[in-house]
Amino acid sequence: MRRAVLALALIAAASAARAADDGVHVGVATCAGDNCHGRADVPSEAQLGTAQYPIKQNEYLVWAHKDKHARAYAVLKEPRGERIAHNLGLANAETAAECLSCHTDSVPPARRGPRYRLADGVGCEACHGGAVTWLGTHIAGLSHQDNLAAGLYPTERPEARAERCLSCHIGGGERAITHRIMGAGHPPMPFELDTFTAIQPAHFTVTARYAARKGRPNDVQIWAVGQAVDLQKRMALLTDPANAPKGATPELVLFDCQACHHAMNQLQWQARGSGGPGPGTLRLYDATAVMLEAVAARVAPDLAKDLAGHLAALHRAAAAAVPDYWAGVQRAGAALGEDAGRLAAALASHDFTAEDAKALARAVISSGDLGYSAAQQETMALESIVAAMKAFGWADASQVKALNDALGGLYEATADDQTYRPENFAAALRQVEAKLPH
Amino acid sequence: MAAIAARGTAGAWRAGIAACCGALLLALAPRLAAAQANPAPGIHLGVASCAGSNCHGAAEPVADSNVMQNEYVVWSKRDKHRDAYRVLLEPRAIKMAQALGLPDAANQKLCLDCHADNVPPAQRGRGFQLSDGVGCEACHGGASGWLGIHVSGATHAQNIAAGLYPTDQPAARAEKCLSCHFGDRTRFVDHRLMGAGHPRLPFELDTFTATQPAHFRVTDRYIARKGRVTDLQVWAAGEALTVVRRMDAVLDPRRSHEGLLPEFVLYDCASCHHPFGTVARPTATGLGPGTIKFDDANVVMLQLAAARVAPDSAKALGAHLAALHRGTVADWGTVEREAAAIRKIAQSLVPVLAKYSFTGADMRALAAASIAVGTGPDNYQVSRGDQVAMTLAAIVTNMRSAGLVDDAKADALTEALLRLYRGFAGEAAYRPEPFVKALRDLQAALGK
Repeated sequence: MRRAVLALALIAAASAARAADDGVHVGVATCAGDNCHGRADVPSEAQLGTAQYPIKQNEYLVWAHKDKHARAYAVLKEPRGERIAHNLGLANAETAAECLSCHTDSVPPARRGPRYRLADGVGCEACHGGAVTWLGTHIAGLSHQDNLAAGLYPTERPEARAERCLSCHIGGGERAITHRIMGAGHPPMPFELDTFTAIQPAHFTVTARYAARKGRPNDVQIWAVGQAVDLQKRMALLTDPANAPKGATPELVLFDCQACHHAMNQLQWQARGSGGPGPGTLRLYDATAVMLEAVAARVAPDLAKDLAGHLAALHRAAAAAVPDYWAGVQRAGAALGEDAGRLAAALASHDFTAEDAKALARAVISSGDLGYSAAQQETMALESIVAAMKAFGWADASQVKALNDALGGLYEATADDQTYRPENFAAALRQVEAKLPH
Repeated sequence: MAAIAARGTAGAWRAGIAACCGALLLALAPRLAAAQANPAPGIHLGVASCAGSNCHGAAEPVADSNVMQNEYVVWSKRDKHRDAYRVLLEPRAIKMAQALGLPDAANQKLCLDCHADNVPPAQRGRGFQLSDGVGCEACHGGASGWLGIHVSGATHAQNIAAGLYPTDQPAARAEKCLSCHFGDRTRFVDHRLMGAGHPRLPFELDTFTATQPAHFRVTDRYIARKGRVTDLQVWAAGEALTVVRRMDAVLDPRRSHEGLLPEFVLYDCASCHHPFGTVARPTATGLGPGTIKFDDANVVMLQLAAARVAPDSAKALGAHLAALHRGTVADWGTVEREAAAIRKIAQSLVPVLAKYSFTGADMRALAAASIAVGTGPDNYQVSRGDQVAMTLAAIVTNMRSAGLVDDAKADALTEALLRLYRGFAGEAAYRPEPFVKALRDLQAALGK
């Protein structure tokens, strides 16, 4: 546990340092050679993971053809991007720092190598780190550990991956995502680490060789750690002075979108097991915190109590009609952020078992929160749990198929926030529950 | 808005509106009571005391009488105030009470204060029944002090002197209606109630007087006894006092904020209640995207009225409103300062507007200015749509009673108003585009 805390702290520090300076970014083209990561003829399943074919080597092609990150810059020039820029009073989106900070691999000009191109969008080095320091060891065939030591970013570690993805998918600091940007037309940004890893789509395949080099990924763990880091980052945003209320309005991006953005004839409010404010008020976004409560109750009961207490305290503080309410929000938010940090470390070192997976699936289903944001998180949580059941053989093939069919119902029920109906989602949850292995 | 649409003369379009906007009628009907702002000195004797067939309970209007004498029947059969208490027993109210953590709605001061004539027990006479909802004395005042002279043929002035509430006076009527239809320190429909399921409270004094429906007719005898009051006087005084009450709420710390959050009923519903997307929402407030916009519709309409009567006040209102908007995203102190300035101007305008004789030129200018508001920036605000539509209805009614439009033109205007109200048929999904189109048609029907 202590080691995990230390590792997490080191990663956070390294991540922060790297964001400041992780060397020269040599550009996507450097990685895309057909004998490197741009290989067109993919090895067969039997070949994959052998000494000759340790990986598919088509990672560049997967990214270029299927991964939205490759289009991150291009979308800035599309009508929607233009419209948002116009609404923000910007000349355009593709030269605006506040857009580029996440829509490309935004390193300063001094750290752009000759083959670096802004227009490549969120390319290899945006996630794996500037390659100038480690490309040599990497192509020389050294171990993964050697690559990491030379500066390759450890995306295979759940907490490090969460840190990296959420630096844009929640944002903050130079990558601040404000409600101003949302109001200008930016789409909402639901995120769950394991599901988003899968649908990116992942450009890695877990083989025995992969497991030996990087450890065997457990989707339940990736989901759980992702939720903890998510909450930690949200609380950092809540306590950031840049997000303090101005005039009448708090920074609205910290709140649950659907608490407001619903038709007036579709009442949203309902009593929630996790506490939270009464009808007619905004609700701080807490869907990931609610998921984390379920995880903590199973895996770290001691921390679960603190988490539930501090979450309730945060909701109370946000609605407290006292002059120094903001100080109260900051205190409760800081405490909740610390809980999340401790949980991230605990979850990163926990060995999630078949029993954990089943219990967590049931806990997610019975969390009792049917708000749209919660429904999105519950859907992605169950997707992750089912993925682990499949990968580890905790459910047989027919059970996995039945579960995946049932998951389809969850996605269907949450397809559109404007037509979302809690009762349909609840029915879809019951379908999943019925298919869970005993 | 459909309730508003019921204003008018042609039975056909009244029926048409009822058919096309039936659901809205339910959602928006002025269910809330217009009870008095201050406890009446008298005992409230109860509706039954007024309902005698030779008093106000005649089956049909009585010819050759000071009043119609069927006022009780109109109220009882057609006025939503009659149902104000009963709705507290319906499923919607029970669900609301649950959401608010209350055991019920029908026994709560919070609800009864506007859904009944909720005077203290000591002021309830033998015939008083809470279940009568918002009855006669909720608006006209407890009758124990004046019923005696009232039935013995006293003049209106004598009745008033004895305690009858002067609902015939625009400012007094506004005061009484707004005490529930906007609220005050003691009664306020906040966003907590809205979130629990309370319908929103669009209100415009002249339109709501007409759609209640009014249980009086302005005849020569009425004018001789109570004076002539025009629709636009009622409209303008109503807008001015609504602004005063709105600024009171801004300046009341208990009604302006709840913890971290602003009190959302003071902001435009559509600021938040809209789907995501990149639809342009042009604003003249200077506020950036993603901000919650203060509901300025009444201030904007008051500006239009003031522009005809006191142009300097109109200009000052505009400047203070712009500063207030800026304050909502900068610092609350500015908001309070500007709200106080707006309140002062609005308060001073109430008596001026209640007495001003709006001319034909005024009416045409007001119509053009209202249409400009409805077709201009910020018209995605539901509240602006409300106020523009109801203001135009008041203007058209006034034009008609002043003989400024002939029957053919009046019918064309009525048709155009009807289409305007249809823009609100799906209030929850209000979009400015069809509304703008209907305004253009109305503009064409108005001509020069």
